Amino acid sequence: MTLSDSELERYSRQLVMPEWSGEAQERLKRASAIVVGVGALGSPAATYLAAAGVGRIGIVDSDAVELSNLHRQPLHYTPDVGGAKAENAAVKLSFLNPEVQLEPYPVRLEPTNAGPIVAGADVVVDCSDSFATRYLVNDASCAEGVALVEAGVLGLSGLVTSIRPGRSACYRCAFPVEPPEGSVPSCREAGVLGAMAGIVGSIQALEALKLLTGVGEPLLDRILQLDGADLRQTIVATERRAGCPACAAVPAAAESR
Amino acid sequence: MRTLDLTGVICPMNWVRARLALEGLGPGEALTVRVDPGEPLESLPRSAEEEGHDVTIDGDRVTIVKR
Ligand SMILES: [Zn+2]
Repeated sequence: MTLSDSELERYSRQLVMPEWSGEAQERLKRASAIVVGVGALGSPAATYLAAAGVGRIGIVDSDAVELSNLHRQPLHYTPDVGGAKAENAAVKLSFLNPEVQLEPYPVRLEPTNAGPIVAGADVVVDCSDSFATRYLVNDASCAEGVALVEAGVLGLSGLVTSIRPGRSACYRCAFPVEPPEGSVPSCREAGVLGAMAGIVGSIQALEALKLLTGVGEPLLDRILQLDGADLRQTIVATERRAGCPACAAVPAAAESR
Repeated sequence: MRTLDLTGVICPMNWVRARLALEGLGPGEALTVRVDPGEPLESLPRSAEEEGHDVTIDGDRVTIVKR
């Protein structure tokens, strides 16, 4: 696989990075990513994956764009209100980088479709906004042996971790107890500042690019906690949990492709 | 005492409106809001308590005393 002249020009500013290489760029071009949720985290995450040249990007989101989304979801503009997020994101990203194959999945991720959607991907970037979906994405990614970047953002604080199933702690290893289903959250839990979500989603893209290319050291067995109020960051170590229902039986995934 | 009818307004917009009304009050002053039963009657008082205000509930009326 060779890169065209226009691809070389498009990616020139990352190709000149000492850490990067033509081989890294070709790995990205061959790679397939699934972004679950194209909202506050998924907008920046999918944007940077598409811009960097990830060959195929699947975008899973069943929601329509709402006015109250726009302050934090920079792939969606005011005229897009009412439209499907997955389709809208695919259109915007195809304008950004027509070299990338975009596959919108305007569906809700369920236990029945999660496995087939993530199977065959090289990385899953979980930009969902509920604990139930997060555990579902974790379990499906572990079962299919697909690398995963997990994150969450609330108010001014965020959290990111990367997972190589069978090799490093999964989300369920780190957070074995699921919050009770149907517990009523307070309205404050809907609060988030767009710029903070942008930082966390951008870190997710960075992690996914590292997992796909082998460049740098992803947040494996480490959870990054970031406080936007003072920009202090903490890294908490995690480890695989024996008997983890999601990942204990998973054979170690390949280091990279 | 200020009152606010937030029936038909769902979370988080009901809390947004209550919060803005609270901003106009001094410490110790009270705001009474009417909310729908169910989710709003659970989540709005909890949001107010989480921000340190005193909350009493009487039927569908939530009284918030600003801290
Ligand atoms: Zn696990």
